[in-house]
Amino acid sequence: MKEGFRQSMAWLHSWMGLLPGWVLFVIFLFGSTAFFQQEISRWMRPEMSGQPLSVAALDTADALLRNKGANAANWTITLPEERLGDPVSIEWTPAANSTALPGKGVIDPGTGKPAEIRDTLGGWFLYRFHFDLHYMPWWLARYIVCISALAMLIAILSGVITHKKIFTDFFLLRFGKGQRSWLDGHNVTGVLALPFHLMMTYTGLVTLLFTLMPWAITANFSGEDAFYQASTRAPIVEASGKPAPVLPLRLLSARAETLWHGQKPVYIGISNPGDAQGIAEIWPATNGMTEPRRPLYLNAATGALVAMGPESGPAEQTERVMIQLHRGSFAAPMLRWLYFLSGVTGTIMVASGLVLWTVKRRAKLPDPDHPYFGFRLVERLNIGFITGPLAGIAIYFLANRLLPLGLEHRADWEVNSLFIGWGAVFAWTIARPVKQAWVEALTACAALYLLVPIINAATTGNGLLPSLLAGNRVFIAFDSIMLAVSTALFLTARKVAAHRPKAAPRRRTAPKVAAEISA
Amino acid sequence: MIHMLLFLISLCGFTLLLFATARHQQEWLKRKLPVRTALQAKVGGLTLLVLALFVAARGVGWAQAPLFWCGWMSLCAGLVVAAQCNRERLLRLLERKQR
Repeated sequence: MKEGFRQSMAWLHSWMGLLPGWVLFVIFLFGSTAFFQQEISRWMRPEMSGQPLSVAALDTADALLRNKGANAANWTITLPEERLGDPVSIEWTPAANSTALPGKGVIDPGTGKPAEIRDTLGGWFLYRFHFDLHYMPWWLARYIVCISALAMLIAILSGVITHKKIFTDFFLLRFGKGQRSWLDGHNVTGVLALPFHLMMTYTGLVTLLFTLMPWAITANFSGEDAFYQASTRAPIVEASGKPAPVLPLRLLSARAETLWHGQKPVYIGISNPGDAQGIAEIWPATNGMTEPRRPLYLNAATGALVAMGPESGPAEQTERVMIQLHRGSFAAPMLRWLYFLSGVTGTIMVASGLVLWTVKRRAKLPDPDHPYFGFRLVERLNIGFITGPLAGIAIYFLANRLLPLGLEHRADWEVNSLFIGWGAVFAWTIARPVKQAWVEALTACAALYLLVPIINAATTGNGLLPSLLAGNRVFIAFDSIMLAVSTALFLTARKVAAHRPKAAPRRRTAPKVAAEISA
Repeated sequence: MIHMLLFLISLCGFTLLLFATARHQQEWLKRKLPVRTALQAKVGGLTLLVLALFVAARGVGWAQAPLFWCGWMSLCAGLVVAAQCNRERLLRLLERKQR
């Protein structure tokens, strides 16, 4: 009975791991980069001075909006957070009956000057892709991600049950032993960061709570708008028609900071600017583990408090702590590195699990030269989904440096480059024999990551050497990571190239024992 | 400081646990340790890991301690696995130094 249970868990683990495995690899890979979202954004905007937000930047935003968005219905101002990856960006939207055009602009937060900063989505896109995917409606993406994460949770739990020698084999990692090596690698990466994998999968599901369980809202509110209204207390105020200038942004910002007892604003939206009943909606940056997130609604002309979001109850606070645990944005650099390394471990765990599925079945193929369709499909998807996104990310960084600065929809083209690169790797590897496909794709990835610091040095003044001299930490760390990833990929390619698969020995053991070994 | 402490304690803890299993003793020391010593290594290793949790709590409070603790445990266990994989190389290096 006991054997039966473990075997059924092994079956569950294989399939719950395989079917969403490719999506999970992508989620883990892009999610790991998201811990350094701000730093990646900073690297991708080399024109920025990299200094903290100054009052001058707020004043410039103020002046630009008053000048260009004089009769607009809405102004929005997005401010950078502490880690300084983003510029100050402003937008103005004209009223529905107006012929004026909407507009936007960016300002260097440090110097406070309108800046020619390249159009890019930066690290934000990599972060966003890990749960909203791309080229598809966000709700569909979130369902896919939710189902994959649920499967991941099942795979983790069934994996722990399947891996029975979790303590005796704790440190075991044998190289050059074919299937055993893959199994060891999968076990070690899985077990070492097991608390992380469990925590991330669970809290990840919590971040998508309302996709998974929308009924709490639908049962209690007439619609999403009513829920939003209740959770923010956003006032509905019509324009009075009486003109009154908007209070300077620096004063609105300072007023918000006082009302929040020190939290800094990260978003200011002003509706009906220039009207006596204009409302400034202000949201705080929430990077601490338990910081409240209460939006403010001030009268834009006087700064008087109109409404404030309600204090969160225990349920919402619990949710927030879990989300922060997942995002890790409260983490100081050292802890963030631990998050990142654990994320990389998770990525390797998923990849090795996917490969293990084929390695295990290859030994049992009746005719190894002509595997059945499902096997070939998994093998090809593995190559395309493991090496493809790796190459794509490097190409995303390269496109950031190489695309012409004046290109229309430049940010979109950076993103498109990522997927064109991924698709190209996929197509190429399909056309090649399996082993060559792995070796060539991994070598190509290694070369692409090596190119990133080289192209960076050639196209900007922030190459590795000048950055070292200037002590520019973000750029030094970024280029070093690129070199480290390149080396790791190159070594992996070499390992795969040197690998000579041994003829699978026929085991003379009873089927029960054989099943146990393979589990 | 807290990071350094957690790193050292977890690393020592996992090293002791490594030497608590017969197979690893054979591989590293070329002999088996007495059962009593192995047991002591096991208890010692586990105690150090538990101690690390309390050190983390002392340093950053109970709210974040598990996070720091798990992070450093993962990293240190990873380092011990890396050492175990490169055992032959490390032993040769040690031998050369002794000569």
